[in-house]
Amino acid sequence: MLVFVTVGSTKFDSLVQAAISELVIAALRNKGYTQVILQRGNSDLTTDGGGFGQDPLTIRKDGMEVETWKFKPSIQNDIERADLVISHAGSGTILDVLRSGKPLIVVPNPTLLDNHQEELASELSNLGHLRATSTHDLAETIASFDPGTLIPFPPFDGSKFRRLVDEEMGFI
Amino acid sequence: MTITFQILTALAFLLSCRVYLVLPTSCHPKPPRRYSNKCSLAIFLGSGGHTSEALMLTSALDLTRYAPRTYIISEGDTLSAKKAIAFEIHLQAAEPTPQDYRILRIPRARRVHQSLLTVPPTFMHSLLACIHLVTISPLLGRGTIGAPFVDLLILNGPGTCVTLCAAIVLNKLIGLPSPKMIYVESFARVESLSLTGRILRHVVDRFIVQWPGLLSADGREECYGCLV
Repeated sequence: MLVFVTVGSTKFDSLVQAAISELVIAALRNKGYTQVILQRGNSDLTTDGGGFGQDPLTIRKDGMEVETWKFKPSIQNDIERADLVISHAGSGTILDVLRSGKPLIVVPNPTLLDNHQEELASELSNLGHLRATSTHDLAETIASFDPGTLIPFPPFDGSKFRRLVDEEMGFI
Repeated sequence: MTITFQILTALAFLLSCRVYLVLPTSCHPKPPRRYSNKCSLAIFLGSGGHTSEALMLTSALDLTRYAPRTYIISEGDTLSAKKAIAFEIHLQAAEPTPQDYRILRIPRARRVHQSLLTVPPTFMHSLLACIHLVTISPLLGRGTIGAPFVDLLILNGPGTCVTLCAAIVLNKLIGLPSPKMIYVESFARVESLSLTGRILRHVVDRFIVQWPGLLSADGREECYGCLV
C-alpha cells in the first residue's frame, strides 16, 4: 500500500520531516502501508537545512521504502496510485485529491502569514470530506484515521456557473 | 477663490453622480435578449490556483457560444500561458472548431515582495497598459465604435485584475461600451474575502463566493456552493 505526501511547491520543512519521522513511519507501517512517495517542493528534508542531494532519491527508513522528489512534472499519477494522501492545505491539491476520491489528511502550514488555508482545511474536515491535523498530531491522526468514514466530495458540476453566466449575458 | 471652490464642488458632485450611475446595483434587471448568438469572453488568469480555478470556470461554459476568447495573464507568468494553450488544445481534441483565442499580457500591479513605496509607479504602468487594452485599442482597432473590447470579463484575483477593473470603470465613466464583469472569489476563501475581493465587490456586475460564510447583509455576494 502506497502513501503519497506532497507540499506542492511550498517550503514546509516540518511536514516533510514529520512524514519521515520514526513515529509517523511506525503509524503507517501499523496500518499496513509499505511505501511512501514524498514530493517536498522547496522544503528541506533534514533538520540541518539540506536535501539529500539527489533527486529523486529512494531511502529505506525503519523498514519503509521512501522515494523523495523535489518536484514532479505531474502529481496526478501519484494521487491515482496512492491509497492515502497526506498534503499541505493548498486548495488546488485538496480539490485534485478529493475529486480523485482518495482518502486525504491535510496539514495546514502554521508559518504562513495570511493563514486562510487553515479555514478551508477545517471547514472541509467539519463537513467530513477529509481529516485536518497538525505536524505534531500526524502520527496519532494516521493511527485513528478510518478512510471509510469520509464523505465523498461532490464531482465537478459546471451547470450552476453556466446558467449564471448565460443569464447575465441575456441568453436565458 | 470662492468661484473656483464652487466649480470644483459642482464637478465633484457631477463626478460622484456619474460614478453612482455606472456602478452596478445589487438587483439584476432582466437583460434584453441577445441579438447575436456569440459573446466574446476574456478570462483573467492570476497564476497558480487562481489560474486553475479560472480555467475550471471557463470549462463550464458553452464555448461555441463564448468566443472568441482572450486570456489575460500577468507579464512573466509563462505557466498560465501554457495552461491556457493546453486548455484550448484539449477543447480542440474534444470538438474540432476553428481556433479562436488570443493571449494578452499586462504588467503586474505589484510584484511579489515589492516594497509598498515603489508600488504607485508600477501600478500606474499596469493601469496605462490596461487602459490601452480596454479603451484605446478597441477605438483604434476595429473601426466599429460601439463594440467593447470584449462582452464579458471573468475575474478571480489576485491583485493585477484590480487595475484591469479600474480601466473598465474609467471606460464606463466616459460612457464607452464596456464588458460585463463577473468576479468569482477563490474556493480557498471560506471565512474572509481576499483583499482583491473587498476592493472589487462594489465594482463588478456579479460577485460570486463559494462558501455561504462570506454572504453579507447588503446582498452584494451570491453563493451557489463550490463552482470549481
